[in-house]
Amino acid sequence: MAGGVPSAQASILNVPAVDAGVSNLSTPTFAKIGSLVSKAAKFQDALEYYQLVFWWLDRMVLADNALPERMTWFWHGHWATAISKVNYATPMLTQNQVLRQNALGNFNTMAQSMINDCALQYWLDGQQNYVAAPNENLSREFMELFALGVGNYSQADVTALAKSFTGYKITADSLEAGVITYTPKIHDTSTVSILGTTGAFSPQDAVAVLTSQKSCQDFIAQRLWFRFYNSSSPQPDSTLSDAFATRDIGAAVKALVYHAALSDSLHAQAKSPVEWFVSACRALSIQPSTLPTQSTVFSALARMGNTPFNPPNVGGWPPDEFWLGAAQAQERINLSQYLVSHGNLSPISVLPAKQRVAAAAMWLGVAGWGATTQQVLTSAASDPARLAWLALNAPEYVVNQ
Amino acid sequence: MRCEDFSRRDFLKLTGAGAMAASLPLSFSEIASAAVATPLPAKTPIVVLVTLYGGNDGLNTLVPYLDSTYYSSRPGISVDQSTVLPLGDGLGFNPAMKNFASLWNAKQLTIVRGVSYPNPNLSHFSSMAIWQTASPATSVSTGWIGRWLDTQPLNPMLAVSVGSTMPPAFAGAKQSGSVMPATGFKLPTGTALSQFKSLGAQTAGASSVTQSAALSIANLYQMASTVSSEFAAGVLKPVDPTLQNVGNSNLNPQLDAVATLISAGAPTRVWEVSIGGFDTHADEVATQNALIGGVSDSVARFMSQIAGTKRANDVTVVIYTEFGRRVKANAAQGTDHGTSNAVYVVGKSGVGGFIGDEPSLTQLDATGNMLMTTDFRDVYGSILEDLLATPVGQIIPGWNTKLPLFTSK
Repeated sequence: MAGGVPSAQASILNVPAVDAGVSNLSTPTFAKIGSLVSKAAKFQDALEYYQLVFWWLDRMVLADNALPERMTWFWHGHWATAISKVNYATPMLTQNQVLRQNALGNFNTMAQSMINDCALQYWLDGQQNYVAAPNENLSREFMELFALGVGNYSQADVTALAKSFTGYKITADSLEAGVITYTPKIHDTSTVSILGTTGAFSPQDAVAVLTSQKSCQDFIAQRLWFRFYNSSSPQPDSTLSDAFATRDIGAAVKALVYHAALSDSLHAQAKSPVEWFVSACRALSIQPSTLPTQSTVFSALARMGNTPFNPPNVGGWPPDEFWLGAAQAQERINLSQYLVSHGNLSPISVLPAKQRVAAAAMWLGVAGWGATTQQVLTSAASDPARLAWLALNAPEYVVNQ
Repeated sequence: MRCEDFSRRDFLKLTGAGAMAASLPLSFSEIASAAVATPLPAKTPIVVLVTLYGGNDGLNTLVPYLDSTYYSSRPGISVDQSTVLPLGDGLGFNPAMKNFASLWNAKQLTIVRGVSYPNPNLSHFSSMAIWQTASPATSVSTGWIGRWLDTQPLNPMLAVSVGSTMPPAFAGAKQSGSVMPATGFKLPTGTALSQFKSLGAQTAGASSVTQSAALSIANLYQMASTVSSEFAAGVLKPVDPTLQNVGNSNLNPQLDAVATLISAGAPTRVWEVSIGGFDTHADEVATQNALIGGVSDSVARFMSQIAGTKRANDVTVVIYTEFGRRVKANAAQGTDHGTSNAVYVVGKSGVGGFIGDEPSLTQLDATGNMLMTTDFRDVYGSILEDLLATPVGQIIPGWNTKLPLFTSK
C-alpha cells in the first residue's frame, strides 16, 4: 500500500487465519431495543452506535495484520451504506461481517452476498421495488457505483435490472434483526435484457451478469487504484485489472502491493480521518474503546465527516483534497493532542533526543521527513509529547507517500 | 422512514467523471501578501450558494396547484390545493414555506423556473457533478467557482465553504476555495503555535497531495488569525425577532457563521453552505415538508440577520439542487429522480418574480420527467457577469448568455 514500508510488502499479504491481536475482542450483540433514533434524540448519540464504531476501531488498531480490516474499510466505502437511514445496529454489523468475510475473497461471491444484504437493500429502497412499481434506486447504484462504473450501462439496463431485483421484503422487525427475505412469488419473472444478455433473471443471475462484464473487472481495479494509490489519475497499466480477471480480490490486492508505482511519491494520498486516527493509535498503543472520553474521538471523526458505518452518501467517502482543508487541520490538531496525552511515547522517549526525529519516522511509518518538518521536529526533540504531536500533524504523516 | 443522507458537500465525483482538481499549493508568504485583513469594499456583491443534496422535489416546493395532472400523478403525496401559498401563474409554495412567501411579497425572491441542462442525468453523482462543474457534456476537474477563483488574485478567503470538506464547485486549477468549520478556529499558543505554523511551509519536490497537506496548515493559520476575533462577538440577531428561533438545525449554524463574517467585512465573495436528505424515494411528505420549510426559515432568518448590517443590499442567496423529482409518484409514497427544477434567488439584487417558463406536466421526456425551459448556465452567467464581474465565457467556455435576473443590469 502507498504509505507502507516496502519491506512490509510480503508480510502484509501473509494474513493469518486467526489474528491473535483481535481474537479476544468480542463481537457486540444488540438487544431488541428499538431504532437508534427512538433511543436517543439523534442516532449519533445512541449507545449502540458507539459500541459498533468502537468495536470496529478496536479491531483496526489491534489486528496484528492490518490488511483484512483495511480491506473491510475499503469495501465499506465501496458498498457505502449509512446507519443514518438504516437506523439499527444489527443490520450494519451483519453487513460489516459479510464485507470482512469477503474482503480478500471473490468479488462475485461478495456481490452475491450483498444483493441479499438487509442493510444495503434497505438503504437503497430494495424492499420497495415492486413488480407493479419498480424502484430503480438499488439497480442504478449497483451498476454505477458497485459493479460497473458510470457510462457502462444504459437507462434501459437500469430498468431491466430493477425488475430482476424485485422479490425482497424487509419488515420493521426483520430490519432490526438484520434479516431480509426473498419471495419468488413477488419477483418479476418477465424476460428482460441486461447489458445484452436476455433472460428471466433471479437477483443472483442478474448480479452474475454484472460481475462477468469486462467493465466490472476494470472498474474494481480502478477503484483499488483510486483508493490506494492515486485519486486524480487513472491506473497507468492493466496490472490490477489483469490480476482481477477471475474476480479474485486477494490477487488484485497482491498486484497492488507489488505494483511498480508503490515507490513513486507522485502517487501520494491523504489519509482519511479514520486511517489517520487508526494509524496514530497503532503507534501510540491506544485501544480506542479504552480512551476515557470516547465522545472526543467520535465527535471529531463526525465533524471531519468520516465516522465508520455512516458514509455521507452511497458514493462513499471522498479522497485527498477533502481531508486537506483548514477545518480538517484544526480537528487533527485537537485530536492528536488528546491521543498523545493518552498514548505510549516510549518508542521515542526512551531514546536520546538526537535520535528521536528519525525514530519517529520509523515509528509512524513515514518514509522520511522533508526538510521543513525535519527542522520543526528537531526543535521539539527534547519534548517527546510535543514531538509526537507535531509529527502527527506533519504533511508527511497526514499523507501516505 | 428517514430519507437518504445525501447531506454533505463532500459529494464526490466518483467514477468516469474524473477526479477533483488538486489545488496547487500557495506558499504561506503568498497567502499572507493577499491582504486578507482588508475588508471587502462597500457595495461589493456577495453570493451565498445553498446546495440541497439529494434532489429536492420541486413540484412539492413550488406547487402547480391549478394543474389537475399534478394531483392525478401524485395521489397521497400532493400538496392540498387549499393549503398552498399562492404566488401567481397557478403556482404556490408548500405551506411550510411561509417565510419564503413573505420574501416573495417583498420582491426579494426571484424564482427561475424549469432549470436543467441538455440530456439530463438521473444519477445524483453525475448530475451534481454537472451542476458544480458547469460542464454537462464533458467531464472536467474544476468547478465553476474554482475557475472564477483562477481569474482572481490568490486569496484563501475569496470563496469559503462552511463545514469540513470542500465542495467540488470550489476546485480550481490555480487556487481552490477554502473550508471553514461553523464553529470557527482555535489554535495552540506560544512555541507550539510557531512550530505548528512552520509545518505549513512548502517543501520543494514534495508530491502535490503533500503540498496540499502543508497548505491546509498555512490556510488554517491564515484563516484563524482573520476570523477568530469575529466569532467572539457572538451570533448576529435577526432584525425580525420572530425569526430568531426558526430554521433547520444544520443550516442555521452554517448561515450564522456566514452572517457573522459578512458583517465583519470578510474579503469573501462567494460562500457555500449545504444541507442534505432530499432524496425522498419513500414516505416523502413529512420529510420534504420539514426540510424545505427549514430551508425557507433558515434563509429568511439569515437575510434578516444581514438586514441589520452594512451589507443589507449586497448579499444574494442562490439555492439549487442536482435535479427535481419525477412527476408521477412511486408506490412507496415517494418520488424518483427527475430533471428540471426551480432555482431560488433571494436578495434585493434580484428582480423579484418568475423568470423562465414553468415546464409542462404532460409533455415529458422518455423517463417521465419534465423538460427544461432554462439552461443552468444562464443562471451562472447572470451570477458571474452581474455579481462577480466576470464574463461568463471565461468561466464556461463557449457560453455567452445570461438572464434578466438582477436589477442593476
